Amino acid sequence: MGLEAEASDADVVRAVLGGDVERYAVLVRRYRDRYARYAARMLGSRDIAEDAVQDALVRAFDRLADCRDPTKFAGWLFLILRNRCFAERRRRRRERPLTPVDDGLAGPDRPDGAYDQLERQRALEQSLQHLTAEQREVFVLKHVEGMAYEEIAQVTGATVASLKMRMHRAYDRLRDLMRGHQ
Amino acid sequence: MIAGYHPLVKQVLDGERSLADLPAHLRTEGEEAVRLVQAADRAPVTLSAAVEQRVMAAVRGHAASPSRRAWHWLHAPREVQLRLRVRPWVVWGGALAAAAALAILLTRPAPSRVTQVASRDSVFVRFVLYAPGARRVAVAGTFNQWDRSAAPLVPAGTSGVWTTTLALPVGQHQYAFVVDGERWVADPGAPAVDDGFGRRNSLVAVTAHGTRAL
Repeated sequence: MGLEAEASDADVVRAVLGGDVERYAVLVRRYRDRYARYAARMLGSRDIAEDAVQDALVRAFDRLADCRDPTKFAGWLFLILRNRCFAERRRRRRERPLTPVDDGLAGPDRPDGAYDQLERQRALEQSLQHLTAEQREVFVLKHVEGMAYEEIAQVTGATVASLKMRMHRAYDRLRDLMRGHQ
Repeated sequence: MIAGYHPLVKQVLDGERSLADLPAHLRTEGEEAVRLVQAADRAPVTLSAAVEQRVMAAVRGHAASPSRRAWHWLHAPREVQLRLRVRPWVVWGGALAAAAALAILLTRPAPSRVTQVASRDSVFVRFVLYAPGARRVAVAGTFNQWDRSAAPLVPAGTSGVWTTTLALPVGQHQYAFVVDGERWVADPGAPAVDDGFGRRNSLVAVTAHGTRAL
């Protein structure tokens, strides 16, 4: 366990490329949960996120020889998972059009006062599904993962200015979608 | 459709301004916006341990496939020991020949890659990059597992031309130059493909008779 914790990503990648396939389990354990929340919030489902993370890890193994800089395996794996999440969202949109945001939730002005944080969370989760994949991603990375715009720019390759524009459009769209749930 | 948030409220959501800094008439809108963003679910997500078992089962299956083994055989670096016993006149003759070759190289424009058959399984491929001002240049690709320090290029005087010759196994390879250890540059003299992550990789196809345009 100690050796596993000490081994850098680059060491493990080189060992796997050298033929020690079993060492890949170190990277699987290291990144299985680290990117799970991103995938779950992007796809709106823990089960679908599990499939996406699993596929990304297998795909990363298949393309390991293309990993230009083994010290940056984490970022490279994230890009594979990101592509997988975007593709999954496109596929699901084609197969199952989005339903309107549930209006059956109790609103803050309802006399029963049943509206609480959990219901607002559920309404926001539904509303996020109506954003574009790019808008949803920047919301998830900034407000769920807690990353700064500069960090998001580094992992996605977009400029800070374009990320802010996406985010600001997302705020406006969410405000519209969440009306009655605030 | 209701109006979007005021730009100052968006600055609050971006963390660039505090709620208390908002003008009084925007305070309610700001509080509403903050409530919206705070509703985001930040709970950690833990996947089942079965993910590791399924990934490793798939990985073992892929690693055992004949195509993967052949690919690995082509890619795996090998250590080769050469023992030479030479007489002094061979050394001087070799040095003179190398100097003559370098003189020829510098007196005519060279294509980016020149090839010569090295053996039945590998071919010498010369990589050339014009990079005036560079402090160091290397070539990294699928043939050296994208190791940016494995294959440095040598400057040809002060001309700005950097060259190296590598023995590459027969097959198709992707590569790029690494300038000053960090800047990836595609070979301007070779076709390129998108690597799937927004960057360009150059392509070279090595046959038993030399390189082939793709």
